[in-house]
Amino acid sequence: MNSEPPKAPLGIFPSSWSELRAGRIPGNIPIWVGILSELTEFGIFFVAYFIAKYHYPEAFSQGPQSVSTLAGVTNTLILLSSSYFIAKAMINIRLDNRAKCEVYLWLTLACGCLYLLVKSGEFYWNHQQGFRTSSSEFFTVYYYMTFNHFLHVGWAACAVLWVIFRVRRGAYSAKQHSGLEALAMYWHMIDLMWILIFPLLYVLR
Amino acid sequence: MMKSFGKMEYCWWALIGITLFNTFLGEKFNSSALVSILVALTVMCKGLMIIDHFMELRHAHRYLRLLMRAYLIFFPSLIMVTTLL
Repeated sequence: MNSEPPKAPLGIFPSSWSELRAGRIPGNIPIWVGILSELTEFGIFFVAYFIAKYHYPEAFSQGPQSVSTLAGVTNTLILLSSSYFIAKAMINIRLDNRAKCEVYLWLTLACGCLYLLVKSGEFYWNHQQGFRTSSSEFFTVYYYMTFNHFLHVGWAACAVLWVIFRVRRGAYSAKQHSGLEALAMYWHMIDLMWILIFPLLYVLR
Repeated sequence: MMKSFGKMEYCWWALIGITLFNTFLGEKFNSSALVSILVALTVMCKGLMIIDHFMELRHAHRYLRLLMRAYLIFFPSLIMVTTLL
């Protein structure tokens, strides 16, 4: 049985959509299906946020003053740094420098774990202050959005660990690294979502 | 692929600077329309920087690039719209 993936285009899409005409697809098509699905999911959260804020302006004015801005800023800086580290890992695999690529992946993983720690601390601090999902409309949106994002960072961190294992096994090289690039795209997407969540829940009052 | 390593570091520090500026705006000033618009514009700027420089979509498939850019322009724009309501 031929296990080679098909290389020829299916011929069901306009030729202007092809990589040749429209440009390269970083990573692979399946990861972009995933990324666009996640963007849709978070997009629905953002629309829900704006609708809730319009109906309950008081709760959304008080809410950001109750949560820890320090934890929010710290996590933003951590995720921005993690995005930088994974971008550096990509540069190094393209130079066939696997050792440096692995170091940057470990740094990305460390940032992911640090984010989860800070967020857990923030959730615990909120709990001690008596904030629950039912405390106000703001906190319902806050917990729904931030816990969902927390889960995304959690499983993406597991994926980073898997990719580190693959790098050590020599699975990626300067010529073939689409798996690593797919993870990098997913990780950047998670960072982008936090960049939107941060001002909505911590800055704007 | 980015040609110079220095450019990426510059981008990283710019993103950190914008984040701290955003926080400063939120902490020091009451949420006025001007603050909301400034925050929305800086969020847009951060998103576009990540899309272009970290995700390297600047030279990628045009529909992916347009879709990602539209997303990062649309949602911060909603912040500006809410200031008008």
